[in-house]
Amino acid sequence: MIKVLLLLAGAGLVLFFVANRRKARAKAGVKIGFVLFVVFMVYAVLRPDDLTVVANYLGVQRGTDLVLYALVMGFAFVTVSTWVRFREQELRYSRLARTIALANAVRPEDQIDVRIMKPVRDDDPLQA
Amino acid sequence: MSGDSVRPTGPGETVGDTPVRNGDVWLVVPCFNEGTVIEDVLREAGKTFPNIVAVDDGSTDDSSLAIHRAGAHLVRHPVNLGQGAAIQTGVEYARSQPGAQYFVTFDADGQHQVKDVLTMVGRLRSEPVDIVVGTRFGRPRAEGDQVPLIKRIVLKTVVLLSPRTRRLGLTDAHNGLRVFNRRVAEDLNLRMNGMSHASEFVELMDARGWRVAEEPVDILYTEYSMSKGQSLLNGINILSDGFVGRRLPR
Repeated sequence: MIKVLLLLAGAGLVLFFVANRRKARAKAGVKIGFVLFVVFMVYAVLRPDDLTVVANYLGVQRGTDLVLYALVMGFAFVTVSTWVRFREQELRYSRLARTIALANAVRPEDQIDVRIMKPVRDDDPLQA
Repeated sequence: MSGDSVRPTGPGETVGDTPVRNGDVWLVVPCFNEGTVIEDVLREAGKTFPNIVAVDDGSTDDSSLAIHRAGAHLVRHPVNLGQGAAIQTGVEYARSQPGAQYFVTFDADGQHQVKDVLTMVGRLRSEPVDIVVGTRFGRPRAEGDQVPLIKRIVLKTVVLLSPRTRRLGLTDAHNGLRVFNRRVAEDLNLRMNGMSHASEFVELMDARGWRVAEEPVDILYTEYSMSKGQSLLNGINILSDGFVGRRLPR
């Protein structure tokens, strides 16, 4: 029971946010989700026994296990969305760099500007 | 060497031993730390193709100066972005040049050959296709075939696993030698910066309905180009990029 629920919830969340992340609704959804998460955690800390009741209802022995499962799913979701977000960022930054590169293009008959063309520093961590 | 004064050659012009002024052809050469070889490669190609734009992808060596010495147009990424990004930059530069009709992606390490480009440009001029892609497997395996065995197996597997590649009738998924017309150049929007751009290119061919043809080409696997070749493990990166690609903004 719990396994099916967790898997479904995880897949559903990831799909929903990955597919709709840029829409305002999803952004608001993330915030509401976060507030609910915090409220739930506070409640779980104050009344751990209630958590165990919920866990038992879902087919899990202990409330702490339920929290652990929830954390794993949350972590997986954060990992995926961060990755996609990084790629988006990378694309924007590439387009910025491209614009700069095209603006500074050197035609064969031009004098080369040594200031612009000096090699990228070797110790640049991005070059690794 | 400048592209300004060169008039485009007509579509009916034959390509043969006589030097054709390929004034309407632009070679796009992505380059990252190829300072040792790029000048020779560009000079050699420049004898046949007067218009070359080399994109220095934030090299840490003197590639930029070598490109300029060789008499090519130089576009330099201020930071290293990856080969796909460099190709996109080069094509954007080339398509904004007056008279540019045909575009070639050509490797900086000297593994591609000018004679193959000439054949491919000739086909593009005479046949109703938008893009001609080089293939290492176009003809029966010859004695002098230089594609290493493991590479053959992996490349063939990639083709087998990709329904899109098969639908387009391509036999070589990751050949860097491509010749295409303005339609493709205007439409091209590579968002995968690294090595995944080859898959993205294939995806675009399918999605945009470009007419594709293949041309058997010879690849020179020199010790130098082998040392720069992409690791086969990179296939995993390419697969995961395919997943994220659908979610990136256009």
